[in-house]
Amino acid sequence: MRSRRSLGVRVKHAISNLGFAFAVFVIVSPAILVMLWMLSLSLKTEVDNMAFPPVFIPSPPTLANFLDVFEKNSFDLYFVNSLIVSGISTLIAILVGVPAGYGIAKAQAHKIAVLTLIARITPGLSYLIPLYILFQWIGLTGTVWPIVITHLVLTVPIFIYVMIGFFESQPPDLEEAALIDGCTLWQAFRYVALPLARPGIMVGAILSIIFSWNNFIFGAVLGGRTTRTLPVAVFNMLTFEQVAWGPLAAAALLVTAPVLILTLFIQKEIVGGLTAGGVKGG
Amino acid sequence: MTQTSTVETKAVSAEAAPARGPGFDRNYLPFAYPALVITAAVIVFPWIFTIYMSFYDWKIGQAREFVGFANFTKLANDPRFIESIGHTLYFTALAVILPVVFGTIAALIFNERFPLRGLFRAIFILPMMATPVAVALVWTMMFHPQLGVLNYLLSLVGIPPQLWVYSPDTVIPSLVAVEVWHWTPLVMLIVLGGLASVPVEPYESAKIDGASAWQMFRHITLPLIMPFILVAVVIRMIDALKAFDTIYVITSGGPGTASETINIYLYLQAFSFYNIGYASAVTIVFFVLIILLTLVLLFLRQKAKWT
Amino acid sequence: MDDRKTRVTRRTALKIGAGAAGVFAAPAIMKTATAQTGGFNWKKFAGQSIEVSLTLGPRAENLRRHEKEFTELTGIKVGSEAVPEQQHRQQAVIQFNSGSPQFDVITESWHVQKRLFGKSKWLVDMKPLLADASLTAPDYDFADFTAGGLRWATQGDGRMDTLPLNIDPWMIYWNKELFAAKGLAFPKTFEEILMAAEKLTDKAAGQYGWVSRGLKNANVPVWTSFMLGHDMDPVNPKTVTLQTTTPEAIAAAEYYKKLNKDFAPPGTVGFNWNESQTSFSQGKIGMWLDGIGFAPPLEDPAKSRVVGKVGYGIMPAGPKARHSATFGDGIGIAAASKKKEAAYLYCQWATSKLMCARLLQSGGGSPCRGSSYTDKDVIAGLKLPREWLTCLQESTAIGRPGLPEIVPVTEFRDVFGVGLTNTIGGADAKAELVKATEAFAPVLQKSEAS
Repeated sequence: MRSRRSLGVRVKHAISNLGFAFAVFVIVSPAILVMLWMLSLSLKTEVDNMAFPPVFIPSPPTLANFLDVFEKNSFDLYFVNSLIVSGISTLIAILVGVPAGYGIAKAQAHKIAVLTLIARITPGLSYLIPLYILFQWIGLTGTVWPIVITHLVLTVPIFIYVMIGFFESQPPDLEEAALIDGCTLWQAFRYVALPLARPGIMVGAILSIIFSWNNFIFGAVLGGRTTRTLPVAVFNMLTFEQVAWGPLAAAALLVTAPVLILTLFIQKEIVGGLTAGGVKGG
Repeated sequence: MTQTSTVETKAVSAEAAPARGPGFDRNYLPFAYPALVITAAVIVFPWIFTIYMSFYDWKIGQAREFVGFANFTKLANDPRFIESIGHTLYFTALAVILPVVFGTIAALIFNERFPLRGLFRAIFILPMMATPVAVALVWTMMFHPQLGVLNYLLSLVGIPPQLWVYSPDTVIPSLVAVEVWHWTPLVMLIVLGGLASVPVEPYESAKIDGASAWQMFRHITLPLIMPFILVAVVIRMIDALKAFDTIYVITSGGPGTASETINIYLYLQAFSFYNIGYASAVTIVFFVLIILLTLVLLFLRQKAKWT
Repeated sequence: MDDRKTRVTRRTALKIGAGAAGVFAAPAIMKTATAQTGGFNWKKFAGQSIEVSLTLGPRAENLRRHEKEFTELTGIKVGSEAVPEQQHRQQAVIQFNSGSPQFDVITESWHVQKRLFGKSKWLVDMKPLLADASLTAPDYDFADFTAGGLRWATQGDGRMDTLPLNIDPWMIYWNKELFAAKGLAFPKTFEEILMAAEKLTDKAAGQYGWVSRGLKNANVPVWTSFMLGHDMDPVNPKTVTLQTTTPEAIAAAEYYKKLNKDFAPPGTVGFNWNESQTSFSQGKIGMWLDGIGFAPPLEDPAKSRVVGKVGYGIMPAGPKARHSATFGDGIGIAAASKKKEAAYLYCQWATSKLMCARLLQSGGGSPCRGSSYTDKDVIAGLKLPREWLTCLQESTAIGRPGLPEIVPVTEFRDVFGVGLTNTIGGADAKAELVKATEAFAPVLQKSEAS
């Protein structure tokens, strides 16, 4: 009787496990299916892409779409542009965002954080025409700087918010000790808080790189021929003739692949970083 | 997503602060100045420009003319603008509620320990990192009424083909589907952070009292993670109100005006019609609307905190 | 080895003068070119570099493909970019408005931008440049341009701020196989279009008699195409008043509604040309009304299932008239450019006999030069069926502007486009047109007044 009951428990357990596995499967499938479909489209010929019922597995797979993308576009140039834009705008965000996050967290000055929030709330479109005129005055059009500068509106607030959470979650004991030992506020920040905040900086940097990388509209309006960023280039791939699904999917994949790979490699840090405030705060 | 721990930290710093007297915390403010200066440098000029222009009737290529508040009164009587507010609110409501519900469920799942959790979690958060324009293009292909893969999948389970973004009736829900796909992971991460901070003890005593899983969720978990969910709601709401890339790439506000949100209408006025003055007025009204809705939510959040 | 030889000859030919043996060889042109060149110096501005901003499409492709030849000929470096239509128009306005655009040369859609560019004087007047023998090659042969092209390129005040690049008449692509299966002939009147579309439609089999754009803004030319058959323009060209609520305008909208609602695949309210083309190229659409420049992919086996089955039909006669709605592009020089002469050389090259011949041969557009159509060698090198060329010529002959010549064309297209999308989605044509006209009338009035 005892063993029978345990069998029952075990079956129940197995069923609940199976149910759980199914739930996991259900919640991950939209993400994975869209990505796989994008991959599938990018590896098929145009005729297969237009077939109905759809062809799912490319047979044989073709790299022609990718070649087409590289042939018809200066994808390398756009890639470098995107790298420069997201790199510099993130770098500046780190420089000003880490101290800002620290100051706001320590001073409990959330009203200041709200000010940077205004930058985030303002519809991005409204920046474009005045800034274009402004950049024209100071002679920056035609360079990547207009795009870098507007991207600060994205990167700085994100960075500050991640850092606020981080510094709030850090126990203040060490800095208190440093202050008692006669350190200035700056020294306490520079030698005590900053080294400990490295994981937070990393998460903030990654998020700000990704958001900057993905931004479309700023680059679309402010970018020129030599300063196009990748998302704009992909949008411009919408060809004149016909919907070229294969090359379009290939381009889409090429743009989004770097951030996806980055995410896969450091998902632990991202998840950890984004949830750290809660973990330690509790 | 990150201010949630304020309460806890406040308690900690409150213990330490009195030693250095009240107001000491203010000494930390200069740390924030560079960031404020940089942010202001980018947004102040556009704001002055926008406010100034909102009092002018200016279409690029035509003479500029001071009109006082005429742009605003015109907006109040612009059926297309009013319609776009409706679309925005409809879109936003769906694009907040659905990701929050799904994101919370996903967070509950990912809060459990199971094999390959890291991998699955990584896959789950991929959409949030994917380039919106690129993904929107792929969704456009999937929505195609004759050749799209979605209609094929529906046909497998016996559902007739849908028109998705190609019909005024289904366009907003279809666009929301893309938005949900994109941003549910963000909600999941925020709520997961909340779940991680939930203590174990209440569950143990509840188990002893014979509470069901649902009761435990309803009465222990949910109240504890509510502040996190509210943060997710605020962030999601601001983003959904401002949603642009997805709608612009997939429908540009169509068919007709069926998915024309305020942001799309703003784009149209500024970048297709070059009505800079009128578009500036749209910007200001839009901004006020976002601020108002955000304040309402923050107020709710404060209330939730106190109770 | 052989390749190299041709390349060398080509280069030498180019050095000698404009025009030369292209890939498809146009010896007749080359002969005249070399004979007339005289001492024209293409290299006067060698070493300069110019920025060229083009609208994405076959015209841009044609120019970009042969760009190196221009650099070889003139020593001028070219940085060119092809941007999708909507973005391109928008960038042009923002950059022109800021005072110093980032490009020297730009293509202009006459049917959308002509009046705005002309009014703002954003482009250089070509007439003095054309008259300057030190800048214009003797073999440029200005007289060769068609009257239609020159009319488009000339502003109301007599300035000619673009050189004619391309004219795009609308016509009907039809699937010969589907027509034959039903024993039908290509329609001669609007009435016959309806009858054929009805007979060709078999919804159960996923087959439809008709497809045309329904997406707002893009759909306006479809409506005006039908309106022209009633001998009616959307805006009276003389008085610049709206004629969009006339019985003819309403009849055209109703006719459009009937076709797109009853005989076109579901979802056309969201279709632009590319979706329409995709549908047509799958072989299950009877007729597709659109610009003539979309033919090449239909005859490309890698992209199309209707290769060799496509008929190229001239727009049938409406109740009162027979017209092909026509659109076009020119190429011009930014008034703020600091390299106007080099930019002018580029425009000259872009509209040269050789480049026009190449454009025609590729099927990507219809150049505005008479010689392109009369030169046997050019026609022999045509990549598309001869029927396409016949259709093009006959359509041009009955051409009439498909959009009004006003400044706020985009707004016109948007406001009426929304009304038309609503109409083909089931709304009442008259009510929608009245509503759109009320919304647009003040905009037009203001733009004409200022």
